[in-house]
Amino acid sequence: MHLEATNRTPEVTISDTSLELKGECYPEDISAFAEPILELLAEKLEACDSYFVSLELRYFNSSSAKFFFDFFEVLEEAAADGKNVSIEWRYRSTDNSMKEAGEDFEEDMEEADYQLVEIS
Amino acid sequence: MDSTDFHKLLLSRGTFFCYSGLLSEEVLSAISSIVREQVTDIDHDEGLTTRVFGIFIEQTQNIIRYSEERLAQGGIGTVAIGHSSDGFIVEAINPMKAEKAGSLKANLEELQKMDSKELRKAYKQRLREGPPEGSKGAGLGFIEIARKSSKFEFDFVESPDLLFVLKAWIVP
Repeated sequence: MHLEATNRTPEVTISDTSLELKGECYPEDISAFAEPILELLAEKLEACDSYFVSLELRYFNSSSAKFFFDFFEVLEEAAADGKNVSIEWRYRSTDNSMKEAGEDFEEDMEEADYQLVEIS
Repeated sequence: MDSTDFHKLLLSRGTFFCYSGLLSEEVLSAISSIVREQVTDIDHDEGLTTRVFGIFIEQTQNIIRYSEERLAQGGIGTVAIGHSSDGFIVEAINPMKAEKAGSLKANLEELQKMDSKELRKAYKQRLREGPPEGSKGAGLGFIEIARKSSKFEFDFVESPDLLFVLKAWIVP
């Protein structure tokens, strides 16, 4: 699955072993954006032994925060089931907002490997 | 007030963006990139401009979802962004139902009293619990505005229908 970025949605690439999401996230309709991604992610996690997730966001709105919360919950559950799940939250060194957002999500991650990665 | 007075008024108060009328998700799609460019042209601090932009989005979506004066596509209101030597201000005005003012006031006053740690806790708690009854989003908008702003103020003005005014300041 590959979604090109729009001015309100990030570029999304989902393969059998990884998911990459990059850009802005404040969709017109969050459910329409989120549901197919969460569904496919759950399928891929079910079928894999290990899964890699890379997130590099410039901005997301509060409606999308709920999507990310659900997204991380799916990953955390898979990790609790014994899958090897690693997540990179990539933020620009100049962007405190996205660093803090990454730290917010980090707190709830216990089973999955979660790394905050500063990029230039 | 004639047209030039209106023009001068906006300039004198440092308002560089102002939209008044029907706000819908389609309108927001059309203006959001331009707003972002304008904000980042004024200040190059990416952390700061992302906060300004984020508050603009939350305030605009509040009008779209909750303005009492509505069309099928969205709600009627005004959203404006200004800049001065102190920093940025994002203002939003929309009609609202008088009977909802009491609970909104209590909710916002509670947020105003919280420090950043308490706001973070409230944000995470709301995420876990899901949106409250009557919310059309995640129920996080005001908490997000409180977290991302340096301070915010609100007012309810009878003119004659009730107008809700929300101002958020974002300073470096």
